[in-house]
Amino acid sequence: MELQILEKTDDYLRFIIKGVNVSFVNALRRIMLTEVPSMAIDEVVIIENSSMIRDEILAHRMGFIPLKTDLDSYNLPEECTCKSEFGCNLCRLSLTLEVEATEDVITVYSKDLQSENPDVRPVSDRIPIVKLAPEQKIKLEAYARLGKGKNHAKWQPVSMCTHKYLPQIKINAESCNACGDCVKMCPQKILVNTGEGIKTQNEIECTLCQDCVDACPKNPPAIEISWHKDAFIFNIESTGALPVERIVLEALKILDKKIVDFSKQLKVRKK
Amino acid sequence: MKIKVLKKTSNELKIEVEGEGHTLCNVLQKVLLEDETIETAGYHIQHPLIGNPIIYVHTKGKQKPEATLREATKKMRGQCKEFRRSFEKALKEWQGK
Repeated sequence: MELQILEKTDDYLRFIIKGVNVSFVNALRRIMLTEVPSMAIDEVVIIENSSMIRDEILAHRMGFIPLKTDLDSYNLPEECTCKSEFGCNLCRLSLTLEVEATEDVITVYSKDLQSENPDVRPVSDRIPIVKLAPEQKIKLEAYARLGKGKNHAKWQPVSMCTHKYLPQIKINAESCNACGDCVKMCPQKILVNTGEGIKTQNEIECTLCQDCVDACPKNPPAIEISWHKDAFIFNIESTGALPVERIVLEALKILDKKIVDFSKQLKVRKK
Repeated sequence: MKIKVLKKTSNELKIEVEGEGHTLCNVLQKVLLEDETIETAGYHIQHPLIGNPIIYVHTKGKQKPEATLREATKKMRGQCKEFRRSFEKALKEWQGK
């Protein structure tokens, strides 16, 4: 297995992985989307809301504010030792919001949310929640919990997680007459006409659309688009809840745990 | 996770896995089919929302299906480990740049 990182920032990761089958990368993708836990507001107690937005819409909006997650110090509610419906300090976090507009119309932003744990806070300060006209007021308490994407999309730690096959472009130099029809057709600008023949650049950007093959006047076409069966380009974009490399490592941990659970169950069955 | 045995003979095993989905079963199927002692292996999920996957393994000759499954889980763990190793290595290389 060979892995090469192409691009990495705090919340974006792009890498090529070679020598692995599609089931495995797909399992990882599915786990990142649905089973890696992250934190989101799950319950909102509204004490006062005189804004134009109704309580339930407001609560729904708050749920979708991504929160920086601290996976090591919080437990999933169903796995927490407190076994309480309301949760404890280890599985629940409270945030408060109290804003009143006095003279002008104001916008309430995510930065106005006061978290009891400074490590768990909205990933951005500039997420608008609601607008308040003069004399309108909002006062509420929100409870955030760890959860999984399979229960609600607000708990997804990734906003995008995809993989595609690594493209392979073959140009038959003998039959190609460098007419340039395929170069004009390519939406990703991968093909270059050198005058003597067609060359490729930035091959991994190819979307495998096969437009160049259709455009080729030769029969059979002088260009062939295919893909490596065991190499993938993986794109992951974090919502900011977790660092992107942590999401990958967590997903691996979860997959490994699934396999261990399965083999344990097999052993139990044997007796 | 809970496994329920639906059918068991010397060469065949049919199990229902509660609380799992394509995530685990597809990897398992792929690994099983690479095994040369396997006659056929597969799984299906009767309903996309409420169905539990049913895994079917049919082996050749004297090979026990349970042993093949155990072998497959070992291989899958190996894949996980290898991925982790290469991912951590790539991360280090990236940070070194």
